[in-house]
Amino acid sequence: MKFFDRIRPYASNRYNIWAFRVLVIIGLGWAYIWSLQGLKIDPKLIQTSLPYMTDFLSRLWPPDLSIVDVAIKALIETVQMSLWGTTIGAILSIPLALLSAQNLSPLWLRWLANLMQNTVRSVPSIILGLFFVAATGLGAPAGTLALGIYTIGYLAKFYQEAIESVDKRSLESLQVGRASWWQIAQYGIMPQVLPLCLGYTLYMFEYNIRAASVLGVVGAGGIGFELVSYIRGFEYNKAMTMMLVLLVVVTSIDAISSQLRNKFKSD
Amino acid sequence: MEPIPHSKSPAIACHNLRTAYQSTLKRPILNGIDLKINHGEFVALLGLNGAGKSTLLRSLVGLVPVSQGEIQICGTTVQPQLVDEVRKNVGFLVQGGGLVDQLSCLDNVLCGCLGELNTWQSLWGFPKRDRRVAMQLLQKMGLQEQIYQKARQLSGGQRQRVAIARTLIQSPHILLADEPTTGLDVSGINQVMTSLQEMNRKGLTVVVVLHDLALAAQYAQRAIVLQEGQVWYDGDCQNMDSQFAKLQKLSLVPSVNAA
Repeated sequence: MKFFDRIRPYASNRYNIWAFRVLVIIGLGWAYIWSLQGLKIDPKLIQTSLPYMTDFLSRLWPPDLSIVDVAIKALIETVQMSLWGTTIGAILSIPLALLSAQNLSPLWLRWLANLMQNTVRSVPSIILGLFFVAATGLGAPAGTLALGIYTIGYLAKFYQEAIESVDKRSLESLQVGRASWWQIAQYGIMPQVLPLCLGYTLYMFEYNIRAASVLGVVGAGGIGFELVSYIRGFEYNKAMTMMLVLLVVVTSIDAISSQLRNKFKSD
Repeated sequence: MEPIPHSKSPAIACHNLRTAYQSTLKRPILNGIDLKINHGEFVALLGLNGAGKSTLLRSLVGLVPVSQGEIQICGTTVQPQLVDEVRKNVGFLVQGGGLVDQLSCLDNVLCGCLGELNTWQSLWGFPKRDRRVAMQLLQKMGLQEQIYQKARQLSGGQRQRVAIARTLIQSPHILLADEPTTGLDVSGINQVMTSLQEMNRKGLTVVVVLHDLALAAQYAQRAIVLQEGQVWYDGDCQNMDSQFAKLQKLSLVPSVNAA
């Protein structure tokens, strides 16, 4: 704060504003060049790798429709995993969100709850998958639990923001009207928070269907399990079928859930 | 309107009212307020930004802790143990109305009854009797078309009138309104002020924070001007312009020196 106060008189000068903008652009340009060097991307490499890419893609075609039934079965399992995983995560997110909300909790509790949130969020879903596969063995139960924990990292944050966006004055009005704690929660907080939270949860459900496909790679059930075994067995046409079925389901669920989310928003 | 309890004691009485010291202001927000408002008065509370108008109103319903002095509402002292008793007599209109956007107008008005119902009674909705009263109040406010509309779909003037209906459903003796006309257009302002005036004529004591002197002169019988947390003027609403010109001079001089 003090720093900005000190530079404010200079910043109001027109030429200094421009000098500042040029500095920002130079800084950004430097960051991009620096990152490119770190990646060690070689233009020649891209040229030579192009045939491999086209080869891989061409071998995907045409999709082998004989395994559609396998694909659909795996996909149903994926949706089931997502449903339970999202629900478990949502339920566990509620207390964490309450504890980390600025308008509800004291600073030390918020700090602790936010640390927990960040810890969960920084664990990749694959690691969670491996962890639960080690605990419960291969299959859908491991994936469901992994999704549940993974969901907390996001929904706790979303719920927290929904709670923090509650209009303070509306709660104050109820308080002066001598409403009880529960009445304030029921008539003041819930109507404001619920539509937002339902929308976020639906989005998370949809996202978890995609996340579940990745979890299958480490053997945690769902469509990813079959997908990876086909690719490892060079049965690219069958893998393609899997991906197409996934595409259809993700698209249709996205369509339904975005309609529902709009409805929540307008309510 | 019910008979007024302790009608011998004034509606609102503050004696040497002080809030906690504010280091950014280098003084308490309320710095020794003495005032008395009788039943049935229509008082406009005026003052420059930061004079303490909102804080005074909020302290009257126990939302701001008082560090020194005493407030009595209808003879009851405002203190943590009695705050429920005090709030029974007072309707408080927060800035912007404080409606729950996602609820219908009817439900918002019904929220005013929550104090009279216990948690179980309001768990599955409101009693029929209360719903009828709420509808009548909305009709009186000219909002019969909007009864089932969501509060977020209302105009600013309509929101304020719903908020007024919500405070009236608990049939208070005193109505405190914090800037109910801010952000409204001319017709909205007139609607809100006229409904306040009507309520006042039926015996409600009204204290309203305003920014507009002409509005105060038009509707209020008495003006109280706050300056730096103290009562600076207390009297009728005439010659307010010249009073305010004095006040602005007073408060401009030190700020020019500070810069």
